Amino acid sequence: MTSQYLFVFAQAHAEFRIPELLSIAELYSISIQFGVEDLSKLDVSRPFMVLGLDSEEDARKLARRCILIKSVHDFWASGSTYEELHDCTRRNQHLWQKYVKDTSFKFRVDAHNHSIPQRRQRDVMESFDYMNFLGEINMKAAEIELCVYEECMYTYPDKHGTTRHKLEGDGQFIAVYFGKLIEEGTARPLLTKFDVKKRSYFGNTSMEAEISLLMANQTLASPGKLVYDPFIGTGSMAYTTAYFGAYVYGSDIDGRQMRGKGSTPGILRAASQYGVAERIMDLCTFDVTRNPWRCGEMFDAIITDPPYGVRAGAKRLGRKKPFDDQPYIPPTKPYELSALAVDLVCLARYMLKPGGRLVFFLPTVNEDYAEIDIHSLLCDGMEIVANSLQDFGSWGRRLITVKKTTAEKFPPPTFDTVPASADATAAFDTPQHIPAHKDFREKYFQGFKKEDADKPEASPVGNVAGSLAALRILGDVTPNEQTTVLDRSL
Amino acid sequence: MVRLITHNLLACHAKGCTSNNFPLKLQDVAIEVREAEFNPDFVRGFLPRLEWKALVQAARELGDTSLPEEMPEMVDDGFLKNLHHVLLEIHIDEGAMICPNCGHTYPISNGIPNMLLAEHEIG
Ligand SMILES: C[S@@+](CC[C@H](N)C(=O)[O-])C[C@H]1O[C@@H](n2cnc3c(N)ncnc32)[C@H](O)[C@@H]1O
Ligand SMILES: [Zn+2]
Repeated sequence: MTSQYLFVFAQAHAEFRIPELLSIAELYSISIQFGVEDLSKLDVSRPFMVLGLDSEEDARKLARRCILIKSVHDFWASGSTYEELHDCTRRNQHLWQKYVKDTSFKFRVDAHNHSIPQRRQRDVMESFDYMNFLGEINMKAAEIELCVYEECMYTYPDKHGTTRHKLEGDGQFIAVYFGKLIEEGTARPLLTKFDVKKRSYFGNTSMEAEISLLMANQTLASPGKLVYDPFIGTGSMAYTTAYFGAYVYGSDIDGRQMRGKGSTPGILRAASQYGVAERIMDLCTFDVTRNPWRCGEMFDAIITDPPYGVRAGAKRLGRKKPFDDQPYIPPTKPYELSALAVDLVCLARYMLKPGGRLVFFLPTVNEDYAEIDIHSLLCDGMEIVANSLQDFGSWGRRLITVKKTTAEKFPPPTFDTVPASADATAAFDTPQHIPAHKDFREKYFQGFKKEDADKPEASPVGNVAGSLAALRILGDVTPNEQTTVLDRSL
Repeated sequence: MVRLITHNLLACHAKGCTSNNFPLKLQDVAIEVREAEFNPDFVRGFLPRLEWKALVQAARELGDTSLPEEMPEMVDDGFLKNLHHVLLEIHIDEGAMICPNCGHTYPISNGIPNMLLAEHEIG
């Protein structure tokens, strides 16, 4: 039987929330009732959601794995005033009746983005007296915790509550929720565990912990699965994916990214720190567009943050010492983003098992972005599962999750995709849409100016050095621009 | 690293090298055995992807004779354990893999094989 559960979510990466819930629900075969037909209608700007689940066990599973869940509760009541809340609580007595007789309890009275003064917290607790709980109040070892959450109106735009007096607006809220704590979100502390700054090996392309965890969840990583990162760099997503139990293959055209300094490769050192070195299946140096994989249909998922701007062509200038693949910088030729993205989806179709997922980032110009940009990347048998924007203002990056929905066999990709161009589309009567992510690197450096704009706009980051730094968010640095890989252990 | 599962999945990909380019010959290899958690479902699930003869041959070259010449029809736990050991626990840390067809040498150092091609080898 379905019951209602109150979820408290972190106020971060709002667009990733529903995709993450759906992924973990799929992983554990959990069915979630969202209460709306069209999931895009859900308001993910609000931290609270009431969802229907078949069992408390399902709620726990979600809370233990979803990075964006702060806590889950049996849902008992909500209202826009305390009066409404109490009416609702009374009506729902059947939900809490069993705790009245002799269950020890304590209260948590909390507001989102606001701290309620202790006095008023006490008043709120006392306002529930009519429930007549006979068990003892035990602050240390209560059997149950009753939680009251006020959803403050100060959430936006004053996000951090820094500019107002502590008590200003206290007691003003748009909704208040009441329920019994089931489980704190125990996956959320993984953000600290995987903090890049605390990692023994990382570089300027490393992906932040929270996103690496969210990406791993989109792959449905679990024990016995095999996941591949073809642009593994310093391995950020390999650690989180392996942590959830999967084996991980990694490859990169630049061996130095994977090795760092010292004899044990940097990725293995960082993996050891997390206790997952043994799940790093292997690391190989090669250009993925000239890859040595003998066959396809091997991987349960591909997780990657592709380089957006340069293709490091697999060229070698001859090695002096045959066993020395130390600092060798392959000459590069441009690999235009829209072509790379198309190739990547096609590669994934070849390398994934049926049902497998491709999870990758695509940076784009927000103003020009249209949904067709993503659909134009697809080939037969590959379908979009999720598309979540991480917004940086004029640009952003989209985490795309694609599923291989076919069991048909496909040949390996040829990597000769020709980027869409205005010239080519002019040949059609109805010009084709040019994806907003096309030539992203160039657009970025130009500060996203339109060619025909009369007024020059400021560069999104002010100067070229700033642009470079921001491009490093994208890991889009050519070997020449690269600063040294940071290596803590040396 | 390089594990034998990986050796079984890599073929020479130099320009024009499309037949007899697998399995790569192991040369001057230094190996180490490291224990790995046994996941029978993973090993069983990977069977269809393996080139069996190449695997048996590579294992024997490295001194492991636990695998039968032919892939058995009945897969029991004992067999899966042996296969697990061969696929996941034998690591080649140094040495090279050489293409039986064109002779390209893919060096392995600190467990990472360098599969990059030279300029004239790109198709
Ligand atoms: C955005 S970074 C990935 C960063 C990685 N997620 C990390 O945690 O460090 C892109 C990587 O792709 C690699 N790369 C660029 N072109 C490549 C190619 N053609 N084949 C394989 N790797 C390539 C770069 O060396 C770089 O390490
Ligand atoms: Zn060859």
